Amino acid sequence: MSGRGENPVAPAIRVTDLTVAYGDKTVLWDIDLEIPKGSMVAVVGPNGAGKTTLIKSIQGLLPRVAGVISIHGKPYEKQRKEVSYVPQRGSVDWDFPTSVVDTVKMGSYGDLGWIRRPGRKEHEKALGALEKVDMLEFAQRQISQLSGGQQQRVFLARALVQSASVYLLDEPFQGVDATTEKAIVTILKELVAGGKTVLAVHHDLNTVSEYYERIAILNVGLVASGRVEDVFNSENLMKAYGGKTSFFPERKAARRAV
Amino acid sequence: MLEFAVELFSDYTARTILLGAASLGVVSGVVGSYAVLRKQSLVGDVMSHAALPGIVLAFMIVGVKEQLPIFIGAALSAVLAVFVINLVTQNSRIKIDSAMGMALSVFFGLGLVLLTYVQRMPDANQAGLDKFLFGQAEALVEKDVLIIGLTGLFALLVVGLFWKEFKLLCFDPDFGGTMGFSMKSLDMLVTAVIVSAIVIGLQTVGVVLMSSMLIAPAVAARQWTGSMGSMVILAALIAAVSGVTGVALSAGFENIPTGPAVIVCVSVIAFFSVLFSPNGFFTLKFKDARSRREIKKDYVLKVLHDLALEHDDPGYAHSERLLALGSEKGFNVKKSLWALQTAGYVESVGEDNWRLTQSGIHEVKKLSPLEKGR
Repeated sequence: MSGRGENPVAPAIRVTDLTVAYGDKTVLWDIDLEIPKGSMVAVVGPNGAGKTTLIKSIQGLLPRVAGVISIHGKPYEKQRKEVSYVPQRGSVDWDFPTSVVDTVKMGSYGDLGWIRRPGRKEHEKALGALEKVDMLEFAQRQISQLSGGQQQRVFLARALVQSASVYLLDEPFQGVDATTEKAIVTILKELVAGGKTVLAVHHDLNTVSEYYERIAILNVGLVASGRVEDVFNSENLMKAYGGKTSFFPERKAARRAV
Repeated sequence: MLEFAVELFSDYTARTILLGAASLGVVSGVVGSYAVLRKQSLVGDVMSHAALPGIVLAFMIVGVKEQLPIFIGAALSAVLAVFVINLVTQNSRIKIDSAMGMALSVFFGLGLVLLTYVQRMPDANQAGLDKFLFGQAEALVEKDVLIIGLTGLFALLVVGLFWKEFKLLCFDPDFGGTMGFSMKSLDMLVTAVIVSAIVIGLQTVGVVLMSSMLIAPAVAARQWTGSMGSMVILAALIAAVSGVTGVALSAGFENIPTGPAVIVCVSVIAFFSVLFSPNGFFTLKFKDARSRREIKKDYVLKVLHDLALEHDDPGYAHSERLLALGSEKGFNVKKSLWALQTAGYVESVGEDNWRLTQSGIHEVKKLSPLEKGR
């Protein structure tokens, strides 16, 4: 399955030499990362490791000191429409006067371009996305009345409306209930099964093996990246988290094997 | 009063002034909504105060009280203040609130110094420059109203064209950025629109109170609606009504500057909205009290039921004193019992003893929060 701007051989995301600094503080140092097409990838790392910064600078939201980002083999700037973004839920004011369906419609603004307003078609698309995340009955609700899990579903629906081939999610499971977490994982896995690529900042090391095929372990620099069974081990986690982690993937795997 | 109103609306000069006030209201209501939604209400405050030195300098340079140079001067110094705030916050550890406070007082202070200086000059022309502080709508002539109208139209046109982009800018600028919209340009455009609203409000409302004209209508409108579209329209209406009423008040009573009169009107509406709208202070308090009464009622019903079950008889009576045991201070059990009695769920069996009725026993089964689907 090949989308609008996809090059069948190039990786979905290629990050080369990415370095980002805030003032005198280096947040990301010389990151080289390749995300193969059709994979589901976790980005993990301690607080301040630059996970959000990575997601944002892939999309040119932050000035970078150095680095090249390409999506399906072409520079990001030419591939905006191939990338959907689910920001952290807490990054917006949910008291904003707007309805659920209008928020989801924002995902179609990019395709519409400047000045043109969303119409019937965009409305239908938004309703379709809401149905997928099981929020159709809330379409006309004020976004201020949503619970955390519902807010996250709305954000995911908005990204689905963008109908891109690469999904970047910043902590999609933060502060959501178990039902919502399962629902979101199911949708993401469906996307991946359909040839889309998913890159998500993830916090809960316990669920990494269950949800993702690949992982990028980050702490300012890239500690390791690859298939979960190859690089998700205590040695790499120690490198990223220092002595602060008590999580040992090997033990868990051993327990599961027994 | 009615006579006065008739006179006001039939007089050509008065009509011109009122038209100016109404247009200004529409524009500042619409534009102010964006300042409020972007949580930049204070930026509007800084910009309107910061317009003062620009006004006086423009007058000093041109030498006459000419409208266009004064507008340009006002706009330039307002924008300069925003530029200084950005420069300071981006290049120092000073936080935005301190930077804004400093910019406001420095610019406004400079403006006052220049104003005092100019007023000492033996030139008759400067008379009336101080009217820019608190506004004087009576001085509006046809040409002023025309400029207010045109500038306002420009602002409304921009808002109409970039409606969807401005919504992104207010709600989720990062997301908007990823879709290829230049948030920086949009930010500049919104600032330009706010500045133009401030500039056309200078003569009518004045630099000191213009920010209220931007903020208060939007705040009032937000209380009544949850949609951005209706908020913007309602804010425009509120501001227009306040503008017209204020101008009429200021014309009716001598020596009241227009600015304060307009702001008193808009503040009354804003206060009323904050207190009595569906999400207002009193409405919420009232709803709270009502649901607390309901919960207490349910609780008393449940306790009565639980106690009665200990006697294997759901209709077993207990005294009010026993029911009140263990309840919080200020929990008036008797009040709840009376309410339950009115509903037919309990009945008094004399000597302050109470028991569940048949419908009460039926009702208590529905009380579990899980079954109620709360």
